[in-house]
Amino acid sequence: MQRWYVRPLVRLIAALLLPAAVPAVITALIWALPGDPAAIICPPEVCSGTEELAKRWNLNDGPVHFFTKWTGDALSGDFGRSWRLQQGAPVAPMLIESIPNTALLVLFSFVPILLGVIGAATRVLPRAADGLLRVLGLPPSVIFALAASAVITIKYGSAAFGDEAERVKLVLGALALGLADAAMAGAVSGVRGLMESERKQRYVRFGILRGEGVLQNTLPNALPAIIGQLRARVLHLLSGAVIVEVVLQINGLGDLLWGGTLYQDFGVVIAAAFGFAVISAALLITQALVEIGVALHVRRAPKAVAS
Amino acid sequence: MSRLISGLFATSCLALLVVMGMFAPEHLAQPDLSMAYASPSELPPFGADNRGRPLLEYAQQGARVVALPSMLGGLVVLFFGTLGGLLACVGSGRAQAAVQGFGEVVGALPRLVVVLVVALLLPQDMRGLTPIALTWALLAAPGAMDEAASVAGRLGGARFVEALRAHGFSRARIYLYHIVALNLRPVVVRQAIETVMQVVFLEIALSYLALSDSQPSFTHNDSVRSWADILYLGYQVILDVETGHALALGLGLVGVVALMSLSVTWAVRAR
Repeated sequence: MQRWYVRPLVRLIAALLLPAAVPAVITALIWALPGDPAAIICPPEVCSGTEELAKRWNLNDGPVHFFTKWTGDALSGDFGRSWRLQQGAPVAPMLIESIPNTALLVLFSFVPILLGVIGAATRVLPRAADGLLRVLGLPPSVIFALAASAVITIKYGSAAFGDEAERVKLVLGALALGLADAAMAGAVSGVRGLMESERKQRYVRFGILRGEGVLQNTLPNALPAIIGQLRARVLHLLSGAVIVEVVLQINGLGDLLWGGTLYQDFGVVIAAAFGFAVISAALLITQALVEIGVALHVRRAPKAVAS
Repeated sequence: MSRLISGLFATSCLALLVVMGMFAPEHLAQPDLSMAYASPSELPPFGADNRGRPLLEYAQQGARVVALPSMLGGLVVLFFGTLGGLLACVGSGRAQAAVQGFGEVVGALPRLVVVLVVALLLPQDMRGLTPIALTWALLAAPGAMDEAASVAGRLGGARFVEALRAHGFSRARIYLYHIVALNLRPVVVRQAIETVMQVVFLEIALSYLALSDSQPSFTHNDSVRSWADILYLGYQVILDVETGHALALGLGLVGVVALMSLSVTWAVRAR
């Protein structure tokens, strides 16, 4: 029988390793590619000084040297420089500028999902709504993002980069992200199914006979699974955020990662992927903490009843 | 009856996708500027692009880009989902722990982030939708395994197998017929067809994003057009360009894929 703390402990360990593992894997893969990494930035046939460039950007002493130097610098807030996207420009300001936009986009899209989940768990949201949500969730995020982009272009035209337009982009982007790819529908139907099967358990009926509430009994047992589902939803939103940010031209982490990928800018990609890894690690830690909290709560000895 | 109709509809859509891909031309037709932006009535069945080339060829080439990789992705998920369900019925704690560990590791990062890193690291000569589709399928596999395992768990897992063994059924019949065909089928086929749909949508998204930056796509070579090109052309309708027919075609293709996924799910649902 697995002890209760094993699963959250594994999550905590994974959360600690993830931010280091992602840059490590990308670094290893850069060196696994055919050719010299420095030649990617500065192909010898089109530019001179490849060796000098390799030395300046720590590409001359192999993957271990590059990774340890990058990690050491990252811990002090220096995420290296862009190789191609904005050649030579430091990546840290790009990250600082983009993370809040992605955070806001994901947060705005998560709020309706959270409300839907609460509605499904408490039966406030009727089951009839599931079909509607499912149909609404059928189109992919790129279609919703295009519709949002069309609205912004028609409404703002050349002023699509003003403050008001940027706010509207965030709201419409969040709406697109929250509905597309069955984000809302999946969360609502998943939690509904989970809570309905928990409600059928015998202990819940005994609880009702004792005059206790249904949620009071079911929630502690269902909460770890619900938190797991919500973490998966946030990851899903982060994944879709890449598409929404690029289509709506929101300066976010996904847009940065896309730009880095498109222009083979490993400097930007490592930093952006590290940013996503840190967010994913934070989600893992949150899930582990909730699991620990729930496990301690359900194992708490009941107060002695005076005879 | 509705199960039969939805099954026929889904099979027709799948066959259409394959046939369109099979008969796709290697290169688009020569431009004919006199037919630029021709409507479907002027150049049946879908009209023409800004240079008078038929949109039918775009649709065919797009089908060829997505057909095989998306189905491969679906098959990978089908295999892993079935494996997850069967492992749950074997009742091995270690196997289930390994599956869980695999799921935790693979599912820790947003899928598109992993896909983009894979796309970045693919050498030029290996670029195409197949490696991306397989990556996506591997990332989707833990979810399918988990759901199949929970279905097998509700069935009784190892106790269900033992009960049927006591009735004299062979192991092959129990695992292949009673567990896979009768109980896991609705879940694993749904997961597989959803992966097919997701890979098609992923291709459209990646190609569209590359187009909007005027860069080559990760999913196909430059001489081939994807369904994203149709949507990109159609989107210009908001700039008062007469490309409404392209937008309708692009959205129609997306809708057909989504409906195909829904129909398969409906057709294979548990009785």
